[in-house]
Order: sequence, then C-alpha cells, then structure tokens
Amino acid sequence: MLHPQLPWYLAGPALGLCVVACRLLLNGRLGVTGGYSELVSKLRDGNASFDWRGWLLIGVLLGGTLFAVIAGGPDFRGYGWLTDNFGDAVVAPILVVAGVLIGYGAKLAGGCTSGNGLSGNAMLSPAAFAATGTFFATAIAVSFVTEALV
Amino acid sequence: MATRLAGLGIGIAFGVVLSWSGMTSPEVIREALLFEEAYLFLFFGSAVLVSTVGLALLRRAGTRALITGAPVTWAKERVERRHIYGSLVFGLGWGISDACPGPIMTQVGQGIVWGLFLLAGVLIGVYAFQRGNEETEPAWEPSAEPPSATRAGSAAA
Repeated sequence: MLHPQLPWYLAGPALGLCVVACRLLLNGRLGVTGGYSELVSKLRDGNASFDWRGWLLIGVLLGGTLFAVIAGGPDFRGYGWLTDNFGDAVVAPILVVAGVLIGYGAKLAGGCTSGNGLSGNAMLSPAAFAATGTFFATAIAVSFVTEALV
Repeated sequence: MATRLAGLGIGIAFGVVLSWSGMTSPEVIREALLFEEAYLFLFFGSAVLVSTVGLALLRRAGTRALITGAPVTWAKERVERRHIYGSLVFGLGWGISDACPGPIMTQVGQGIVWGLFLLAGVLIGVYAFQRGNEETEPAWEPSAEPPSATRAGSAAA
C-alpha cells in the first residue's frame, strides 16, 4: 500500500464499533452484501429508494473517496499478483469472474466477510463460525495454490 | 430518513477504516492469506472481539435501538449446507481477487478502475442469485418497508 497503515489495534476496534453502532442505532446487522442485495433488488424494480443497507453501501464507497482525497490518491497501483503475472486484457475478465463468485457465494452463504465474518461472529451465530472458517480456509488455499503455480 | 442517514454515516466510517487499514489493497490481503503478514488477522480478530463484547453489553442492558426503538436482539442461525457451499464459492473469488464486498466498494471509491470489473461481477452474481432464490441474509430489517423477497430461516425475535 502507498499510504501509512493505521495500527491494527486502532483499526480493528474502530471496525468493531461500526458493528456495535449499527445495533445501537437500528438493531441492524452490518453486512456489506446486504447493501448490494438492496441495490440490485430495488434497481430491478426500477426504484432507487434504497433502505439503510443501500445507503450503507454508498457510504462505504464515499469512505473510500474521502480517504483517497485526504491521503492524496488511491492506496495502490496495478492489481497485486494478477497484474504482476498477466496482461490487463486477462486480468479484467478474471476480476469479473471473481466478482461473480464473490457476489453469488456471499448471497448463498447469507453474508460475506462483514455480515458473517464480523457481525455474525459477534452474534455468536454457528452459521457465521462455519462460514468464516470456510471462506478463510478456501481463500488461503487458493492463495497458496496460485502462488505455487505462477 | 434517519435510518438511511445512520446507514450512510456508518458506511462512511466503515469505508474509511477499511481504506486506512489497507484492506482495499490486494497486496495487503495477499500477504495475509499467504501468512506473510499478521496484520489482517490481528485487525479482524480485534474487530470481532470488540463487536462481540459490544453487542453482548447492549443486549444484556436491554437497550432499545436509538433510532428505530426496536429492542436490541437477534436470532442465532443454525449451520446449513448453503453456508458452507456459499463460503467456498465466496472464498474462491476472494482468494483470486484479494477483495471482498466492502473493499471492492472502497476500491471504486478511491478511483481504482480495476474495482469496476469486480463491482460488475458482484452485481451480476447477486442478480443471478436473486433470480433463483429466496433471501438468505438474516438481516433484521429496521425499515418500514416490507422486505422485497421472502426471508428464509431465522427472522429476528
């Protein structure tokens, strides 16, 4: 990354407090995938009147923008191991396919790294424990396999 | 209106923290998943710890949500096959791209063009899922509007 990284012992608790704030204000389960769900289902109906989950997603985007403006630009160039090993014309479709897997998989699992990984674990939900163990193990395995291959 | 503003505000804080912690950067995620850096695990672990303690305290105190007035409570979900299969598919996408749904949004917000390809994929994936399935997320819905799809499993108490 190009900008200084906030120490984990500040960043982690700050992220956790977002989950707590969502309960304290709304009794809501903070999950970014829920925002995409809301966005897609409303847009399918030709309606742009998003509920709080849709606005949460828009907020995450604006949070990225705010950071980039203050820090003086985006946090990285290229795209990690993909652009280190493949041309742009190959990386683009790989990212689209990865995005489809992320979106479909998160919906099937009822949450992503935030909905299951953060909020679900904080709710002590057995489904979230299983989901978190599975997606971490899978992503770690994929990383080691691709590292060995390229 | 107030629920939407709250969602927006929490989202902005979430996006700033995801960016400042480096979670937007595929190199940072890759180094963690290859066990070269401990940051992500310490970050994630401390986030889960703080949120677990925070939620337990709110529920134990019998708090009512400040905006919606709903009692702060939730239902735990049983493990079903879809949690495992879905997380396998999700983990595959995450491991390939070193990005998950929050950081994809912060990539786009930071002006990273590659994030648009991921975003397009996620929207296609969510759309494909919604075409053939009922709602899966156990999100308690503090909006006055009825849910747009039937919610499976555990609705909140």
